[in-house]
Amino acid sequence: MSHLFDHHGAPGQGYAQPAPVLPASSIVLPDSLVRKSAPRWPRISEPEMVRHYTWLSKRNFGIDTGFYPLGSCTMKHNPRVNEVIAQLPGIADIHPHQPEHHLQGLLSIYHEMQHMLEIVAGMDQVTLQPVAGAQGEFTAVRCVQEYFRLRGEDQRTKVIVPDSAHGTNPASAAMCGFEIVEIPSRVDGRIDLDALRAVADETTAVMMITNPNTLGLFEADILEASAIVHGVGGQMYYDGANFNAIIGITSPGLMGFDAVHFNLHKTFSQPHGGGGPGSGPIGVKAHLADFLPGPIVKKRPIMGDEAKHAIDDMWFGWYEPTHSIGKVQQWHGNAGAIIRCWAYYRRYGNGLTTMSQHAVLNANYLRHVLHREAELAGVSDMIVDGAETDVAKHEFTISLGPAKEKHGISAMDVAKGLLDMGYMAPTVYFPLVVPECMMIEPTETESKETLDTFAKDFAIVLQVDAETLHAAPITTPVRRVDEVYAARNLCLRHPYDDD
Amino acid sequence: MVDQLPNLGREAEMLAIMGMSSIEDLFADVPDEVRMKGPLPLRDPQSEEEIIADARRLLGSNVALGERVSFLGAGLYRNYVPAAVFQLITRGEFLTSYTPYQPEVSQGMLQAMWEFQTLISELVGLPIANLSLYDGSTAAAEAITCCVRVHTRKATQKDTVYVSELTPPDRMSVVENYCQGAEIKIKLLRHNPDGTVNLSSAQDAAGSCGVYVEQPNPIGVLDGGLPLLKEILGEHTALIVAVQPISLGLVEAPGVYGADIVVGEGQPLGSPITGGGPIYGIFACSQPYLRLMPGRIVGRSIDVDGKEAFCLTLSTREQHIRRHRATSNICTNETLIALMGAMHMSLLGPEGLHDLAVRNMAACTLGKQKLSSIEGIHLPHASSHHFQEFVIELPGTASDCLAYLDSVGIVGGFDLHRWYADRPNWLLVSFTDQTHANQIELLAAHLELWAADQGVTA
Repeated sequence: MSHLFDHHGAPGQGYAQPAPVLPASSIVLPDSLVRKSAPRWPRISEPEMVRHYTWLSKRNFGIDTGFYPLGSCTMKHNPRVNEVIAQLPGIADIHPHQPEHHLQGLLSIYHEMQHMLEIVAGMDQVTLQPVAGAQGEFTAVRCVQEYFRLRGEDQRTKVIVPDSAHGTNPASAAMCGFEIVEIPSRVDGRIDLDALRAVADETTAVMMITNPNTLGLFEADILEASAIVHGVGGQMYYDGANFNAIIGITSPGLMGFDAVHFNLHKTFSQPHGGGGPGSGPIGVKAHLADFLPGPIVKKRPIMGDEAKHAIDDMWFGWYEPTHSIGKVQQWHGNAGAIIRCWAYYRRYGNGLTTMSQHAVLNANYLRHVLHREAELAGVSDMIVDGAETDVAKHEFTISLGPAKEKHGISAMDVAKGLLDMGYMAPTVYFPLVVPECMMIEPTETESKETLDTFAKDFAIVLQVDAETLHAAPITTPVRRVDEVYAARNLCLRHPYDDD
Repeated sequence: MVDQLPNLGREAEMLAIMGMSSIEDLFADVPDEVRMKGPLPLRDPQSEEEIIADARRLLGSNVALGERVSFLGAGLYRNYVPAAVFQLITRGEFLTSYTPYQPEVSQGMLQAMWEFQTLISELVGLPIANLSLYDGSTAAAEAITCCVRVHTRKATQKDTVYVSELTPPDRMSVVENYCQGAEIKIKLLRHNPDGTVNLSSAQDAAGSCGVYVEQPNPIGVLDGGLPLLKEILGEHTALIVAVQPISLGLVEAPGVYGADIVVGEGQPLGSPITGGGPIYGIFACSQPYLRLMPGRIVGRSIDVDGKEAFCLTLSTREQHIRRHRATSNICTNETLIALMGAMHMSLLGPEGLHDLAVRNMAACTLGKQKLSSIEGIHLPHASSHHFQEFVIELPGTASDCLAYLDSVGIVGGFDLHRWYADRPNWLLVSFTDQTHANQIELLAAHLELWAADQGVTA
């Protein structure tokens, strides 16, 4: 074990700094402002520090470590050149308050990204400000809220979400002050149009939908759903969590949506960094564009002596929409993430369609070979499809319900068994509408061989007896972690001896 | 030609195994009415070499602050981040992992974040810290909604908070967006002419749900009156203090003088400015706020063998469990940047933090000496203490002055007219550990030239 707080080197160990421009004695602070006792931080030298974090990294699983089929999270390969680009001083060492003529390169990239996202989403205006998917949801719903307020439609107090929606959907709408109306999905997880008709009325502000939905199925009735919501004067919101499945195939605009968020980190591969950063731009149809948070980048031909700072004789400037809701993050969004996603986009260009086709190809292929290998191994009675369907999109669900019923093997047991086989486990117990659910998303950057091997290994795990699986994992840095113990014996920081 | 797809050229083989003949078969469930017709009207794919060349050209046309002499801060600061930090976070095991839903294979990031919580907790003097929010402004906004959830029942001023009137409009806008849904009333906390909090205005805030102030405040003033606030406010009004974390190497930790929640822009610890993101927001609090606070928290636990192990805990506050009753909608956060912060804090140690704070404040002190002696330039808060930035009042507009300084290669600071409509002549100049004495001399010399010129034309 390596513990950071076990390092008690001599005072001042760690990182040596140049002398201050004035001696420390020249600094005067009154007693009321002076810190009396230093933080009890470790004293660790660089060699020990490097070894500590390297040791920690070896106890962590990333896409670089192995197959990471975590459904809904789109864990695709992160091209390494994007990391090199994001460290260039022209992005790492710039300040959002610098004047426009200092930032023409950044603004031109913002403009290119806005334009690209508008095209793939079928929207009229994009803002890059929100820094995560959930913040994009919040921002878009806020824009719709202001849109209705300006129209005097204050009676629209409700947001409709399917019961299979991501938890962020109801949480984001509730943060805006809306009442949440949850509608049940059909048994296959798709929208129940009758349930929607029953709740949609003049109090409806927004319906939030993910398509493909959280079971990885395309909502073929989407135009009908849009018509129902628009019929009562409401707005359609597209949760872009599953956008990786549809680029160049269809678009939220074609499906009748008014607003959409993108999870750039998923679809355009900002590395997920153990939980973040992300980037959650939103796009809207023209009638909502005036409400977006600014600044947005607009371009025009150069004027006067702008040529010396300009790129390709165009000027890129910040622009504030007239009825902007204001800001949701103080600066200009996660610029570093947007640069990485720009580099990712450039890698694909109009080939983004091929990217989505391969995401769907890989998911359907894995679904097929998973069932085939289970069949060959004689364990096909342990799993059923999470939903009846001919084709899935970029991810699919299976239910371990039969395994649980017949053998007492849960989705969590299989997940832990997969960890022992060297994989990250798929998402488990989501969506809630599928019993003992496992949501599997291979992404387009996995080879056929990886998918074949995973399918075989999955079937091997299904052959393991219940008792052994309950004890899994056994090969990981720690074995099954007691989450109840953690909650009952809260230890949220290092316990110092002198506490 | 796209080079990132391992199965390119093998589509037919894979489709045949599934009993399909065309990629189109995979999209048979997408109705024709919603199908996109024709290829995407976007540029052709590029190779890695072409992309990096374009990136160098475009980003190279930005003015990186390191190429100039810069005094621009105003919430984001150019502090040196040790090389080991950048090397270590490129470890793919950190970089390409996600939220640690499977703790058995995520012990590295979980332990690193538990250590981060400890480092922040020690830094600000409060027992609990989460593992980051998006930035300082969202941390401030979440702290304010959190204090209302905790206190509104007993508050005499229900659903009401007091926010420092100096709060920059962009940050205030974030706060307003986060507060409007909960119908929280935001009132302004007044400041004295010297920049410190007006304590009689603070008395008006007693009985509200919370008070939000910054230390140092947005105009750079270190406020010796803040330690008096908690007693004025009483136990049912939260004291929320936003900090510049490096200042806490010299300046008292807010937890010590009664702050209930401490937030702040974590950026100076561990992260370059990066155009304003990704950075990370600090959020720390005392016990009464624990179960209503936002964001992810790591707890120390045991595995089935009784071995020390870490996992996410108190998840029932969060959106994936509690849905519309969650304490926040946050899911993806800024873990990797917080990890950079943890690495930086580890390398600094307590003495290193102190020395870093001294370097920042020494540069500011020298700046104050040099600029205050220039004829025509006035320091409106000269009698107050400053950590790393202060206001100078100019004999002309700050925007004119900045344009002049820009013409001689100096990024001169922040035009406070953008925050305060009645202050066209106020410039906020910032100093960090990266500011050299000769740069301060250069700024002083040019300000003197420019100020003299204003005198002539005036």
